[in-house]
Amino acid sequence: MTPPKISDALIILPGRYRTLWEIPVVMLILTLIAAFTANAYWISTLTSALAIALAARGIGVLYGLLGLVSLCQFALIGVGGWTMLRLGHGTGLPFELNVLLAGVVAAAVGVVWGAPALKLKGLYLALVTLMLAGAYQVVISATGFPDGGQGWLGRADAIQRLMLERPVVAQNSTRYLIYCAAWATLGFMAAEWLRLAKPGRAWAMIRKDDRAAMSAGVNLLVYKIIAFAFAGFLAGVGGALLAGSVGQLDGRAFAASESLSLFALSVVAGVYNWYGALIAGLLLRAVPSLLTDFEINGYAAIVFYGTALLHAIITAPRGIAGQISGLITRIKALLGRKTPPRQATRQEDS
Amino acid sequence: MIRIENLTVQFGAVKPLDDLNVELDAKICGLIGPNGAGKTTLLNVLSGFITPKAGRVDVDGTDLLSLSPVRRVDLGLRRSFQTEQVVEDLSVYDNVLALLDHLGVARAEARRQVSKALHFVGLDREAHRMGAELNLYQRRMLEIARGLVGAPRLLLFDEPGAGMTESEGETLRETLLAIPDEFGPQILLIDHDVELILATCSKTLVLDFGQFLTYGPTADVLAEDIVKRAYLGVDV
Repeated sequence: MTPPKISDALIILPGRYRTLWEIPVVMLILTLIAAFTANAYWISTLTSALAIALAARGIGVLYGLLGLVSLCQFALIGVGGWTMLRLGHGTGLPFELNVLLAGVVAAAVGVVWGAPALKLKGLYLALVTLMLAGAYQVVISATGFPDGGQGWLGRADAIQRLMLERPVVAQNSTRYLIYCAAWATLGFMAAEWLRLAKPGRAWAMIRKDDRAAMSAGVNLLVYKIIAFAFAGFLAGVGGALLAGSVGQLDGRAFAASESLSLFALSVVAGVYNWYGALIAGLLLRAVPSLLTDFEINGYAAIVFYGTALLHAIITAPRGIAGQISGLITRIKALLGRKTPPRQATRQEDS
Repeated sequence: MIRIENLTVQFGAVKPLDDLNVELDAKICGLIGPNGAGKTTLLNVLSGFITPKAGRVDVDGTDLLSLSPVRRVDLGLRRSFQTEQVVEDLSVYDNVLALLDHLGVARAEARRQVSKALHFVGLDREAHRMGAELNLYQRRMLEIARGLVGAPRLLLFDEPGAGMTESEGETLRETLLAIPDEFGPQILLIDHDVELILATCSKTLVLDFGQFLTYGPTADVLAEDIVKRAYLGVDV
């Protein structure tokens, strides 16, 4: 055992923000591969997957970092999509500004919907948020998404329905895929920065224990609101990008069951690593497309999701991304790249 | 100094603390008593997790009960729990830094304080490791390190030596004894290890069924018949 000792040496940790810079590199490589190899059908599928991956990253923040189960994140994609279509058809604002505004509106709704989390946890929070997703399904089925019409709801008749214009820099599908990848990269980087910085440490403390967090000076209310706002923002941006991809949105695509599937697949893919969100988006969109390629009904994907969730809960609680991360760690250990912290004098540090 | 006046905590018909009056003036103060004596309840009152039915608690002249738990951290109150609360997926360094995040400490100063605290408890070489990789002794020492940053004024340690081996307990003693001189705070220490209390605490408060039993120099307190009967289960 080491007796107490006083030292002025500062501790230096290697590679603290390394993962932050891995994200754009990995995303660039994957996007270029997709852009140069995928056909039109798969370009469209991967674009949707990227949009949904942003919402999945929000689930990663809420569940992976804070331990809160929110089952209304797909509905927040819908909120972002609605806002994007309404602003896109009703104002002359630039596409990018509309995407940000869609994120802000979804963040505000996310905070309101997340309000029960200030008192509830676990099953009860899950049930309340699922009911909110159900309520959204009812409302959006009745009102539909804006499609260039007049009035607050922006609904047109069947003949005059308009498609949302894509941004000038991304008019064709391949460019729009790259455009969405850029947004997703920024979203993933923002989430990773939050994880590595002060909010991430506060969220980890809250997940460990409310009282321990308060004993560390963490304001539970503030940090839960930040988490719900950020998760809502990511979902809203995802919804806006989805609206831009398809041009119109269908209320039937935003059933409460989609929020359940998104949460389940986020767990399967892994909520503790940024690329888990990417895998979740791919699972939700690519698996049905793959089944269709093999002339199997896309709804059979639900059976796959259930089986994968069961598998993840029993054998891989950190998900597919966690298994990939473990593999990378083992390879690095084999290559002898694990770097211990080093000591530095104050002079060296300055 | 902690001044407690007429402190009463009541849950229904049960009074875990009943009209407690005491001035804890020792730099390292022990808090002992049999199970259910109200030791942890007193720590929870001091931390702000339990609102007492009546009474007043002053720490160095500040009315503690008027402050929220988070504001008490600003004041310099630090706390460890019976069940260790190391965050498994934060590094050792970040486990300590997490406390300074909310105290408005500049980054360079935060780094200096975290480094000093980790050196002090002997975890400087483990700074990069995740909380999940630590053994029980290291987790307990990490909780102590967390209490040493951000100008602490009062450390509340709830059984920090639980589960430690003899040699680990010896290091814990040396560490606790060195804290007041190096970091300045008063320590209120709960532990069932009477030897640890005797070795580290100049004075000790004894509670029994939520009531004050005695307070004074630790050796004298442990020698009192009333304490032996209530706490040590010795017939006198």
